[in-house]
Amino acid sequence: MASIKDRYAIVGVGESERSKNSGTTPLHMALDAARAALNDAGLEAKDIDGFMSYSENDSCTAHQVANYLGVRPKYVKDIMGGGSSTEMLIADAIGLIETGQVNTVLIYRSMNGRSGVRMGGGGWGVDLLQTAIEGGSFIIPYGAGSPSQWFGLFATRHMHETGLTKEHLGHVCVSAYEHAQRNPKAFFYGKPVSMEEYLQTAPLSYPFNKHDFCLESDEANAIIVTSAERAKDCKSKPVYIMGMAARQCVSHAHYWKNLDEVAADYVAPEVYKMAGVKPEDIQVASIYDCYSWVVLRQLEAYGLAPRGEVGDFVAAGNLRMNGKLPTNTAGGMLSEGYTHGMNNVLEIVRQVRHEYEGTERQVEDCEIGICTGWAGPDIAGAMILRK
Amino acid sequence: MGETTKVGYEKPIPLKTQDNHPYWDGADKHELVLQKCKSCNEYAQPPGPSCTKCGSTDLCWESQGSTVLGKVYSYVVSYRPFLPGFQNDCPLIIAVVELEHLPQVKIIGNVLNCSPDDIQVGLPVKMIWEDITEDRAMPQWVQA
Repeated sequence: MASIKDRYAIVGVGESERSKNSGTTPLHMALDAARAALNDAGLEAKDIDGFMSYSENDSCTAHQVANYLGVRPKYVKDIMGGGSSTEMLIADAIGLIETGQVNTVLIYRSMNGRSGVRMGGGGWGVDLLQTAIEGGSFIIPYGAGSPSQWFGLFATRHMHETGLTKEHLGHVCVSAYEHAQRNPKAFFYGKPVSMEEYLQTAPLSYPFNKHDFCLESDEANAIIVTSAERAKDCKSKPVYIMGMAARQCVSHAHYWKNLDEVAADYVAPEVYKMAGVKPEDIQVASIYDCYSWVVLRQLEAYGLAPRGEVGDFVAAGNLRMNGKLPTNTAGGMLSEGYTHGMNNVLEIVRQVRHEYEGTERQVEDCEIGICTGWAGPDIAGAMILRK
Repeated sequence: MGETTKVGYEKPIPLKTQDNHPYWDGADKHELVLQKCKSCNEYAQPPGPSCTKCGSTDLCWESQGSTVLGKVYSYVVSYRPFLPGFQNDCPLIIAVVELEHLPQVKIIGNVLNCSPDDIQVGLPVKMIWEDITEDRAMPQWVQA
């Protein structure tokens, strides 16, 4: 197959209002996000002939979104999927464009993640959880019903093996909150956290305290993907996709016995190979951050800091604005908002196309960025973008 | 070894399914019964419809007896009940335990009667059988 490097681009990004209680439906929010992305790209709804979304049965359908934008596209698709789905759907979109099925695809994630169905759990019947989750009968009876506990098991083991400390987790949080202070739309805008405060915060589920958890929010995000050829006609500066890869590993998604490998370990060499770049070429990053530790584990997986040295890397301030790898520069899901990964993708697009030029939010001169998705230790996807 | 039967047990009771019932039937008799693939000899925990390593459906069940030792491979300590019924169990230690005689098999459970200060990776533990209703029991762990 011919390489897709630099032949496809993200030409539009947009979001709905972000809140803790939208008072509206995922469909309304998805439409707001879609219109914002269309406006950003300078496209009309009729230019979109593919609509896709991912959800956990907490959203609206791509059919509805297309319908209420007044168009009848060639292709609609809704998948059940976790936090690496943005990258994976972009890959699907490229495949469809490459084979001539469609020309331009809009991908969205819409959720009342706080006022409606909450990722962090709550309100679900325990028998339902035992059947809905693979291996659920072996974890739910032991009180393990939250992703914080599932991922926490990986974190404790990894910390034990590599010497990472609570303070290292804290650096991820403190730098994310610091980024949020430059983003008036972030939930924790005006609410920075110091290392001292972080370390004094009681654990919710060791090794995590509340700062290590991502937020929950009501919000929709949308992204438009098209060919590099068509991108030239768009209003926005295109951001080119250099490479992307995905992978599933770990024999069970929720019953964790091989805690020493994660899917990101396998995605990394593939994505760099396709993009033709090395970890040291990456200048800005969006690293999936449902929990602080997940960022540390991915820095290691993607070779952005060597195993065993990840703690020193973050302690040196490298995730901050003037560090070696400014990361999750809108505040990430730890402090900006949570749309299941997509808000971090929007941010990397805006950084790489220098949308913040002339403000303190812009990572100066960044040309190449990485965006990583983490549905869990079991599924990952990543994408490398350039100006 | 079993504790007294709990009256009005409020926590989730392990759900028996087509694929896992020999494990829980064994637990009810205070016996650890593991699924094993006869084609590649991989133990399957949790059990399933076929082997996750080689895909074979040629599976069997193998008793490990009632006395099982292990060591903590990883853990979390929850200070909030994330599921109903655990209000009085916090701080709750959830651990992945590596079996002493089969290190490739890891069993998740709670380490009971253990202070958060004492839990650590490598801690030796032994399996105990908690009778949760008149006819149901589940394996748990205590410090060895």
